[in-house]
Amino acid sequence: MKMKKFINNPENLTSEALDGLAMAHKDIVYRGEDNMIINRALDGADRVTIVTQGGSGHEPAISGFVGEGMVDISVVGDVFAAPGPQACVDAIKLADKGKGVLYIVLNHAGDMMTGNLTMKQCKKQGLHVIKVVTQEDVSNAPRENADDRRGLVGCIPAYKIAGAAAAEGRSLEEVAAVTQRFADHMATLAVAVRGATHPSTGAALADLGEDDMEIGMGQHGEGGGGRQPMKSADETAEIMVNALVKDIGLVPGEKVMLIINGSGATTLMEQLIIYRRCEELLKEQNIEIVANYVGELLTVQEQAGFQMFMARMDDELLRLWNAPCHTPYLTKK
Amino acid sequence: MMLDRRAAAAMLLEAARLLEENADRLSEIDSRFGDGDHGITMNKIARLIRERVPAWGDRSIHTFLDDLGMAVMEVKGGSAGPLYGTLISGLGAALGEEENELEEDGVRRMFAGMLEELGDLTTAGVGDKTMMDALIPAAEAAQKTEGGIAVILEEAAAAAEAGARASEGFVAKFGRARSYKEQTIGTPDAGAVSASLFIRGMAKGFGSLQDKEK
Repeated sequence: MKMKKFINNPENLTSEALDGLAMAHKDIVYRGEDNMIINRALDGADRVTIVTQGGSGHEPAISGFVGEGMVDISVVGDVFAAPGPQACVDAIKLADKGKGVLYIVLNHAGDMMTGNLTMKQCKKQGLHVIKVVTQEDVSNAPRENADDRRGLVGCIPAYKIAGAAAAEGRSLEEVAAVTQRFADHMATLAVAVRGATHPSTGAALADLGEDDMEIGMGQHGEGGGGRQPMKSADETAEIMVNALVKDIGLVPGEKVMLIINGSGATTLMEQLIIYRRCEELLKEQNIEIVANYVGELLTVQEQAGFQMFMARMDDELLRLWNAPCHTPYLTKK
Repeated sequence: MMLDRRAAAAMLLEAARLLEENADRLSEIDSRFGDGDHGITMNKIARLIRERVPAWGDRSIHTFLDDLGMAVMEVKGGSAGPLYGTLISGLGAALGEEENELEEDGVRRMFAGMLEELGDLTTAGVGDKTMMDALIPAAEAAQKTEGGIAVILEEAAAAAEAGARASEGFVAKFGRARSYKEQTIGTPDAGAVSASLFIRGMAKGFGSLQDKEK
């Protein structure tokens, strides 16, 4: 099947995209070896630093959030594929400014494998590293079974919380603890109405037909149950809000962060319509949205659909979320 | 015959040769429920083995396998790189830093070390339709076999092949194939097949060298 995508040699997709990112945002980041994107402010940093890893094909994630107040180095694999552990160990060594490194990994089989191998090497070499895993997809396992929960868009606010805590000059243990606390109280549900094509092979990642949508779609269109006839924005929002509130165990009077993350081919207009209904529904339950984002943070090529993310917030987490940051795709003053 | 550095090199090279010879078949199996690139990835790993073995130098078996394993982990193409890298470094993990002339007991430790290192990486067991379907029986066979290194390796290879064939009857529990559930019955696991080729290569490489020396 012929793909209507603006690409060159499929083998160079990741490399060319990273080159483009580094060129377009040369004031904030530069390209390192082994598909690394590095924060320009890392050189003079005297604090805990943040390293993450993941496949390409999810732009602006993950490298679009490298910069001041968020990630210091992202290590990128191939399209939808984890990088190898040696590159991650190298990144951690490069990032370490003597205060230790927080290493954030999304729960996907390949990423976890690389994460475990990286930690093993770091231990062998006596590096001061703590790993935090984001695993918040409510669709494929209950909360007690966190190891089976995939990491979706929740990694992005987790980078923000970690980066802000590091910027406050806190110890690695403290940065890890507050990031983990945030991660422990977050949940994401994804819905897809049309699958993406793999940009290097042209293979369809999911087939949802003309009339269906699927709630509980993973990052790459892995099935997760919940296939049903297409519903309106309000109906879809209601199903998803209820599932997330229930999963986190939110009660009236609590405060939350809400993110509507477009998957790549769902318009901002649709995302805003969804957001509007979410705020109404949460208001009815006396749950206050104190932080939000509507737009594309982590995409899956041209998949149509979105991820709805919710996290329990408190004063400290809110302060960290609102702290300044300057990255290619998220800047706060 | 002992398993020394020369024998270890011959074993790795034969494993690489068998993987390259069967690369198309591995991709074909993988294309049914996976990305269809397992043969391509194993070709890359085999090429790396063929490049690194001639440059062994004076490193011990433990150190060489560790270095080779780390290099293999960087091979791009999904989880095969980290898994095969761990398999290879695991083969040397339970050997002493300067242990370069292995007897039967050393060979058994190679298999035990491999299984232990892979166990840190995956919870897959026999029946989950992964490379472990071949590797666990191979390691078990090595532990209970006596009668010389060649016999141990031969039994391990036979057990790995039987395990790879048995994977046809299993339902996939890991990887992309997992979402196809019962449909995966009847197709072997590509990783189990490549792992059985790897162990068979080790046995063949050692056997051929021993035959030559006679």
